Amino acid sequence: MTDDPSLESDLDRMFRAARADAPEPSAALMARILADAEAERPRARQVVPRRRRRLRSAAMSALAGLGGWPALGGLATAGLAGLWIGYSAPAELETLTAGWLGTQGYDLVDLVPTADLYLQEG
Amino acid sequence: MAKDVVEAASDEALLVAYGRGERAAAQALTARLAPMALRVAARMLGDPAEAEDVTQEAMLRLWRAAPGWRTGEARISTWLYRVVSNLCIDRLRKARAQALDAVPEPADGAPGAEARMQQAARTRALEAALMRLPERQRQAVVLRHLEGLSNPEIADVMEIGTEAVESLTARGKRALAADLAGRRSELGYDDD
Repeated sequence: MTDDPSLESDLDRMFRAARADAPEPSAALMARILADAEAERPRARQVVPRRRRRLRSAAMSALAGLGGWPALGGLATAGLAGLWIGYSAPAELETLTAGWLGTQGYDLVDLVPTADLYLQEG
Repeated sequence: MAKDVVEAASDEALLVAYGRGERAAAQALTARLAPMALRVAARMLGDPAEAEDVTQEAMLRLWRAAPGWRTGEARISTWLYRVVSNLCIDRLRKARAQALDAVPEPADGAPGAEARMQQAARTRALEAALMRLPERQRQAVVLRHLEGLSNPEIADVMEIGTEAVESLTARGKRALAADLAGRRSELGYDDD
């Protein structure tokens, strides 16, 4: 063990010389490393997302044909409104038809002549 | 990935690109990291062929780690220094179990007057002295004085505290200086 400062600086000069004289990988070693990299290079990871993307894009293009998400919202609202109108019979409409056609009203069969009537005339 | 984009990309971006299957990223990473891995392995092991094997093994582990690499968690260079160091220490321990006195003595004989030869002789003397250090001191000295890492970076690589790194490098340097003290004139330091 020594505390000689001149030796410290000798050592620093040796470190510097060693850094300048560092070993470098041969072309053969680089080729071996790259061959490993090629053998290990992930490939399957590329395929899975692509398939998923294809399935998703089929659904998305069908939706786009209808006009996208806003149109789908409008379509759903219109459907529900139609359903509601169909189930709740508006009383005002019945009053109107009774005013025109009499309180008893008519059935569909009353308005359409029967086949017997045509036969009688012919 | 275009060539200039590859050259400008960080190690981490390149590893993520390799994990997605980009071949060019592996080439860029090899060019950047393999020399670093080989330098450390060569100085830790003192054997070029073993150092090449360790470099290839460490890089193979990097390729295998790529798909699951969690970004922002560790610097790739730190990770690789750690893998290389640990592989070297494993090999040294196995070798020591087989032959305790395998550490080479520096070559005898004064180097020639030519400066280049003298520099090579100094480097050989330093490498031989490094091989006589305990493994952890050698690792710390190589990372600090030959690779130029900071003490906190070395602490990360060696998974110890910064104070322990300082202690290891200081002891290592003192031991090297003592080892080389008797060879000053032989290595031409009296003439400098």
